[in-house]
Parts: sequence; structure tokens; C-alpha cells
Amino acid sequence: MAKELTTESYIDHHLTNLTCGHVGMDESAGIYKTFWTCDPYMVDKMGFWAFHVDSLFWSVLLGGLFIFLFKKGMSKSTDSNTAPTGMQNFVEMCIEFVEDNVQSLFGSVKNTLIAPLALTVFVWILLMNLMDLVPVDFLPVLAGHIAYAVAGGSVDWITSPESFYFKVVPTTDPNITLGMAFAVFVLTIYYSITVKGLKNFVAELTLHPFGKWLIPVNFVLEMVNFIAKPISLGLRLFGNLYAGEMIFILIALMLFFSSIPIGVLGFGLHLVWALFHILIVALQAFIFMALTIAYLAMAHETEEH
Amino acid sequence: MNINATLLAQAVVMIVFVAICWRYVYPPILATMQEREKKISDGLEAAKKADDSLEEAKLAFDKELDKAKADAAEILEKANNRASQIVNDASSKAEAEAEKILTAAAINIENETNKAKEELRQQMSDIIIETTQKILGDEVSKEKHEAILQKAAEEL
Repeated sequence: MAKELTTESYIDHHLTNLTCGHVGMDESAGIYKTFWTCDPYMVDKMGFWAFHVDSLFWSVLLGGLFIFLFKKGMSKSTDSNTAPTGMQNFVEMCIEFVEDNVQSLFGSVKNTLIAPLALTVFVWILLMNLMDLVPVDFLPVLAGHIAYAVAGGSVDWITSPESFYFKVVPTTDPNITLGMAFAVFVLTIYYSITVKGLKNFVAELTLHPFGKWLIPVNFVLEMVNFIAKPISLGLRLFGNLYAGEMIFILIALMLFFSSIPIGVLGFGLHLVWALFHILIVALQAFIFMALTIAYLAMAHETEEH
Repeated sequence: MNINATLLAQAVVMIVFVAICWRYVYPPILATMQEREKKISDGLEAAKKADDSLEEAKLAFDKELDKAKADAAEILEKANNRASQIVNDASSKAEAEAEKILTAAAINIENETNKAKEELRQQMSDIIIETTQKILGDEVSKEKHEAILQKAAEEL
């Protein structure tokens, strides 16, 4: 079912994840069958228990790349006698940068998890964001052809290279960004309880800002504040990168579906946007890191209200 | 674009990566960096110390030199003083000696002169008496005119 290439299908193709999930099917004969599939036409039936395999693939790959780079960069010269060179310089620059930020936001509280967490978040998100600078059609088309060549005959829903969806930038998937924000949220709660104590934590959520006679109002207000943090953290990153990706797709459309002068203009625009996007890529990674540190710093604050 | 279990999977993946970074990646890098930082600051400290002690040695050297110079100048001055004192002493001694010799000579001359005068007077009075005796015979004797003679001798 190779569809005709239209503007709509092109955009749609770029915005759809390769989703695998568990599907229960009520077959005509009344036999209830459940199975795993990645068929894009089954996505609606998968419910919550579905996975964006492409997002997770890139996320794990780039996370692994991060670990590899930082482990490899230091492995040769773990002694402090030699002057750092090459990769080690980059690694140390990143660490220095993260340490500075943690120091400025965290102050005197010593928690050895914060800096590694901030480093992981920063470098990982930076790498994921950088996938946005790979030309939009490169990897999806390549993946489609590989999938068609490998499994075109055996899997019934891969009928053409175009029927295989493969979204490249993990941070344009709200599941990924909210997932990370969720992990930060869990850590925030954990440290709030262990550092402040459950009593103080609950008090903070209920006795502020109106005192003990308006506990329900306080709780609702503080809860909104509390929940808004991880959601805004995740959606900010997602929104910025999704919009960036969207503009790349629209510029790419100029090349395919218009006259030659507009196509040429598209090349120029693509370059300009890519250059500008480098800024967003780094900035959003930094913002996510800084807010992660800030939220965890808040969880460590033990001041009385 | 709907929210599904990818979210949970990503959260788990993130926790795993953070844990790996926390346990195996971050500490050795940080330790290396801190160790190097310490080494560098130690080195700088040592260099500063060496600099300081050099400065100190220079100061001590300058002080010693100044002292030696002052000592030398003092010794020189003392020696000069002593020399001039010796010369002064010697010259004043010589002057005194000369004075003494001169005085002694003058006294001597006066004594001799007086002695000669006395002798001359004696002889003169003797000659006068003798001559007078010869002229006057015995009219005039030494014993008779003792007083006159004495007066004359004194007038001479």
C-alpha cells in the first residue's frame, strides 16, 4: 500500500513514531487473540502499553555513546601527571561546566548524585538534540530501506520502504522528554522526603501560603505548583525541539513540492535555520540541566515556612 | 504522538544511565581532575615558597653586605683617627721637647753669663784694689775701705 507522496503524507511520515505494542484482536470467529506488533495501523488498539521503538533506540544509543565517550576519554590517562589532551579536554570541560553550575545552584549541600545526574542530562540531551541537525530525510529513508530489505517479505505490514516509520530525534517525542522529567520528579520527591523528612515535606505542601486554617486551599495551590514543574520541564524541551523539527520538515517540503526558485530559497533557509538551531540545541540542553539542578536543590532546602 | 509506556521506559533508561555515570564514569574523572588541580596548586605553592626564600636570602645578603661596608668604614675611620692622634701626639711631644731644650739652653746661657759677670766683677774689683794700693801705698787697705769697695763692686 505505497501511498502517493503528498505534502500531508510527507509530514505525517516524519511525525509518526515506529510504535510497537501489545494488541488484542477480536477476530471474526470470536477467537480472542493477543500479539505484539509494530504495524502503524494497529497503534490505536495498543493503548498505553506501547513503545516508541525509534525514540528509545536513539535514546539508548546516544546515552551509550555518552557513557562510551566519557569513559574512553579518561581511560588512557587516569593518572594526574600527564597534561590532558584531545577528548580528555572535552570531557573535563563538560565536567568543569557542570560542577560550576551545580556549585552555584546547590551551594554547600553535598550530594554526589547531583553532578553526575546533571552531566548525564546535559550531554545526553545535547546529543539527542543534535540529531535534529541530521537532514530530515537521511535516517528515516535509510531505515525504511533497510527494514524493507531485511523484513519486507516476512513482516506483513512492511509493504514498502515508506511504510516503515522511523523518527530520529528522541527529544521531539513528548514521551522521552516527559519520561526524563518524570525521573527528575521522582528524584525530587525522594530527596524531599529523605532530606526534609516526610513531616516537613507534607507541611511544605499544606501549610503554605495561607497557614493551617486553609489547608485544602494550600494543598491545591502547592500541588499545582509541584506538578507543573516536571510537566513544564518536559514540555519545554519537547516544544522547542518539535517546533525546530517541524520547521526543518516544512523547509524540506519547499525543496520537493515547489518550483525551482523556491527550492533554492529552501536551501538557504535550511542553512540559516540549522545554524540558528545549533543555539537552541545547546540552550535547551543547558536549560533542562539547570532546572534539574534547581529542582533538586529546592528538594534539599530545609528552611522552615 | 500520544503518551504511552515509552515515557516509563525512558524514565527507567535515564535512571540506568545516571546510575552508570554516577558509579563508574563521574568519580574517576573528578578524582583525576581534583588530583591534578591539587598537584598544580602544590607546585605553584612550592614555586612561590622558593621565590620567597630567594627573596629572603637576597635581603639577608644585602643586609650582611651593608653591615660589612659599615664595619669597614668604621674601622677605617678609627684607624684614621688613631693615626692622626699619633701624629699629633708625636708633634706636640717634639714641640714640648724643643721648648724644654730651648728653655734649658736659655737658663744655661743666663747662668753662664751671670757667672762670667760675677767673675769679671771680682777680677775688676781685685784689679782696682791692687791698682789703688799700688798708687796710694798703704793708705788704702782692703780692710779699711771694705765698705767702699763693697759699694763699688755692687755698682759695677
